[in-house]
Amino acid sequence: MIEVQNLYKKFGDQTVLDGVSMLISPGKTHVILGRSGCGKSVLLKHLVGLLQPDSGKVLIDGEDISKLPERRLGPIRKKIGILFQSGALFDSMSVAENIAFPLRESGVRDAELIRGKVAEALEMVDLSGEEEKMPENLSGGMRKRVGLARTIVSRPSCILYDEPTTGLDPIATDSINHLIRRLQKRLQATSVVVTHDMKTAFHTADRIGFMHEGRLYFEGTPKELHESTDPILKNFIEGHSGESA
Amino acid sequence: MNFALFNALGNGTLGLMRYLGELAFLVRDTAESIWVAPLRWRLLLRQIAEVGFRSQLVVIVTGAFTGAVFSAQTYFQFHRLGMDSAVGAVVAVSMFRELGPVLTALMLSGRVGASIAAEIGTMKVTEQIEALRALGVHPIDYLIVPRVLALIISGPLLAAECIGLGIGAGYIVATKVLGISEAYYMTNMLKFTTERDLKMAMIKGTCFAILIGFIACAEGLKTSQGAVGVGRAPTQAVVIASLVILISNFFLSFALNIFFPAGTY
Repeated sequence: MIEVQNLYKKFGDQTVLDGVSMLISPGKTHVILGRSGCGKSVLLKHLVGLLQPDSGKVLIDGEDISKLPERRLGPIRKKIGILFQSGALFDSMSVAENIAFPLRESGVRDAELIRGKVAEALEMVDLSGEEEKMPENLSGGMRKRVGLARTIVSRPSCILYDEPTTGLDPIATDSINHLIRRLQKRLQATSVVVTHDMKTAFHTADRIGFMHEGRLYFEGTPKELHESTDPILKNFIEGHSGESA
Repeated sequence: MNFALFNALGNGTLGLMRYLGELAFLVRDTAESIWVAPLRWRLLLRQIAEVGFRSQLVVIVTGAFTGAVFSAQTYFQFHRLGMDSAVGAVVAVSMFRELGPVLTALMLSGRVGASIAAEIGTMKVTEQIEALRALGVHPIDYLIVPRVLALIISGPLLAAECIGLGIGAGYIVATKVLGISEAYYMTNMLKFTTERDLKMAMIKGTCFAILIGFIACAEGLKTSQGAVGVGRAPTQAVVIASLVILISNFFLSFALNIFFPAGTY
């Protein structure tokens, strides 16, 4: 279980997180929605200790990770996988080496076992047979899939997705949305998806949080969000900027 | 007017302090990593190949041609005074004490320092360093320690290679081209060159390698602003490392001369 308590974060003079609290239940998919720059990705990076808050707590299975030194975060990070917006593949390594990286770092040395797990992870993201390709030869959608394969190969109990469909065409977006849902069912992992894509949100979410001006403005089910009459939520859902002409 | 001057001076001092602080933290984290984390031998060997083996051409050319031209210039001056046989001693002592370590370090800062800063900088802006951290791998263990150690191992060896080639090339030019007696050349060179000169060269080579390693890694790690930042990181690394090498060489020469005095044998 992940619990965020009263999180504050400033970069220079800009307050990015302004007292965010939320509870992420195990085995469910939580979507965090919001406009670009509202602090969604910053919140996500706090969940895995990539950023430290100015104040507040992030509890992972009851342990506060917000002030832990980098070296003590290693074991916690092995329980939580994150898919970065760009995929963040290691560009000096092939697809297979990228996916095998977390296994090798965990001390797995059996080449046959690693090969099998890499093939299985690639099969889960529908990229079987692409082991030898280099990241530079992959499309944006394929990079995200390989990034996801690297994230799930060590079977984390929680998967964080940072804008998983940004920059993808509608078909690739739909494919990633199905993949997130399918992986959640197959791995029974808790998922947190940060996005501003409404289709992704409604397709994948069990619960949705909406961030506005550094705060968690709304939290509820997709149905509750859809039926909301709040003007800020309605404008976001319908894509109205409020400008005329 | 005065206020603007003080403001500029203050900002400059603060910037320098901030930079030195960042560098000090990097040194502390690297020392901690060497102490507590297991060494990644494969990465270290790969980096030694990258730093040491792939720098051969620049070190060979730099050492050989510097020794050759230094020998010729020394001869042109000394010949008028009838001191031809002293050329070998001047070339050897200069190569050991100054030219070998400094020129090797300048070449390494250009070839290796720039490459380290660009590589780490690219990894920084493409979220690869965050990906490492997210996968439970400390970037200092994985990226910095192998590069700094590879430089510490390769730096003095490359300096020794540069010195050897410089002295060899100087010998060939002096004895085969300029006609200095081989016996006098060798006798004077061996008489005036001592073990202290070699020690000084190795200490300087190691110090410069450490400086290049940390400056290049620090520039890579603080890269931001995408392609512009990645373009700026290697330039900054080379400029800062070169200046620091030249300035620190002055102070190192004086300090080391206390322990390894020149001219006494």
